Amino acid sequence: MNLLLLVHEWSVIALALALLLADLWLPLSSKRKLGYAAVAGLVVILLYGIIKPPPYGTTFGGMYVMDGLALFFKRFFISAAILVLLMSVEFADHIETGIAEYYALILFALSGMLFASSANDFSLLFVSLELITVTFYVLTSFQRARLASLEAGVKYLIIGALSTGFTVFGIALVYGLGKTLNFGQLAAVAGQFKSNPVFLFGLLLVLTGLGFKIAAFPFQIWAPDVYQGAPSPTTAFLAVGSKAAGFVLLLRVLFTAVPQIALEWSRLLIVISAITILYGNLCAIPQRNIKRLLGYSSIAHAGYMLLGISALSAAGQSAVLYYLSGYLVTVLGAFTVICIALQSRPAERDEGGPSHGGLDFNEDISSLAGLNQRSPLLAATITLALVSLAGIPPLAGFLGKFLLFKAALAQAPAQHAYYWLVAIAIAGVVISIYYYFGLIRAIYWSKDPADLSPIRTSIPIRISLCACIIGMLYLGIRPNLFVKFAADAIQKLTS
Amino acid sequence: MTIGLNHYLVVSIMLFCVGLFGVIVRRNLLVIYMGLELMLNAANLALVAFSRFNDNLDGQVFVFFIITVAAAEVAVGLALIVALYRKRQTVHAEDLTTLRL
Repeated sequence: MNLLLLVHEWSVIALALALLLADLWLPLSSKRKLGYAAVAGLVVILLYGIIKPPPYGTTFGGMYVMDGLALFFKRFFISAAILVLLMSVEFADHIETGIAEYYALILFALSGMLFASSANDFSLLFVSLELITVTFYVLTSFQRARLASLEAGVKYLIIGALSTGFTVFGIALVYGLGKTLNFGQLAAVAGQFKSNPVFLFGLLLVLTGLGFKIAAFPFQIWAPDVYQGAPSPTTAFLAVGSKAAGFVLLLRVLFTAVPQIALEWSRLLIVISAITILYGNLCAIPQRNIKRLLGYSSIAHAGYMLLGISALSAAGQSAVLYYLSGYLVTVLGAFTVICIALQSRPAERDEGGPSHGGLDFNEDISSLAGLNQRSPLLAATITLALVSLAGIPPLAGFLGKFLLFKAALAQAPAQHAYYWLVAIAIAGVVISIYYYFGLIRAIYWSKDPADLSPIRTSIPIRISLCACIIGMLYLGIRPNLFVKFAADAIQKLTS
Repeated sequence: MTIGLNHYLVVSIMLFCVGLFGVIVRRNLLVIYMGLELMLNAANLALVAFSRFNDNLDGQVFVFFIITVAAAEVAVGLALIVALYRKRQTVHAEDLTTLRL
């Protein structure tokens, strides 16, 4: 057993436990600052992993694999957690008790994601998926005094547990026929089950569980409610970390465990991708709650990334990785701004009385009015983020979509359904421009904004916002380096 | 008559369907939760049966993981339902109407 391979996981878990211990001794007033300690720890882990990358190989009897894809996603998840932790420090005032536990839970969820990126066996897939999901049940309902948060937690719990049930039953069927839980060993025998309905049904059930994680149609119903009700940092981590974990597992299952069967499933993936894109974008149009709107938009983005997977080519997979990188800086930048801009509104914390049922009226789009006068940096970041999400050059979102569409069109001569898929995706982009620009209009051109008091931002938040802006511009203008990273990462997967 | 793999699988599928039916039809969160547990146990039964008849222990080890994770999930889930009850005085799914368009 080579423990050196697991250096990221060990150090993140140790950091989380240290945080919980420090929570016991620190005075109440300085607990909030523990978030900065966690960020510092993660930065050290990230840099150490870059300077001295762990060797490639497998351990735990082939369950755990360290390869280019795993390393790419480990760095991705740690970067996401750093930005989310910085956001949570700003959010600390809205969490009544246990802010240090909130930080620690983010780290435990992160460790689940790190394990997920290395899963090479259905047992590790299941355990890491559950480590993420169960932690997110708590993170979602962390504001126990807010009814919306509790309700989001319960909804996530029921639908999450349901998808777990499907996944486990699917694994049981796949195991029963394939006689192994290991992806590598399964790949050797999967070819002979190409037309075995029980095996295919089992695999479909496993994909149901992963579809729930990435919020793809028809398992997306939880997303808008949970995105709206959860505390903003949790929503941000859910949108980036949890979704990316679903995608890395989807890549592993489809292209490592059952590559022969995946080739036959392009039509299914095309249909799911097209419906997901249309559903997310169309439902986002009438939304007035910002977080709910971003929830629907995240469904649409899952659809774009599924488009890359449905292309079933190395180009499509690396485009997904590139898109996720752009999505990370874009979405986390947007959520950081929303988290700060909304909490500076008066009466942010309602007690959920029966009269208004705990609805956060102040999360309405109109509460962004006049943001450009209140804080130019916040307004600039969210504008760039929305423009990038809409896919307008020269930002990261444009190039990501371009690569995805290109990968799908490369497959189109063989199967004409890809033409339709790309046409639907472009229609989705056009629809999305409408509602993203509705948000931008609310920021710059709303009539008589109620509150023009300037918003103070702390230095760590400014750094994090600048990092997001630089990331969006860099990925959009000079993509070569990251395209190469993404191509290297998936090299081993397809060989 | 000897009991074979198929018998176990039929029971397992029946358990799974009963659980799923409970989740879809019942409105009480606690009963829904029981249905969810039933679905997990149906999968456990299938895994153990496959493991026994395939002469491969992986499935039985995996069942231990599922039981452990299910216990953790129940702990969190029940805590959440209790917290909701304290706030809202209800455990019925149709009363969860705060979050909607």
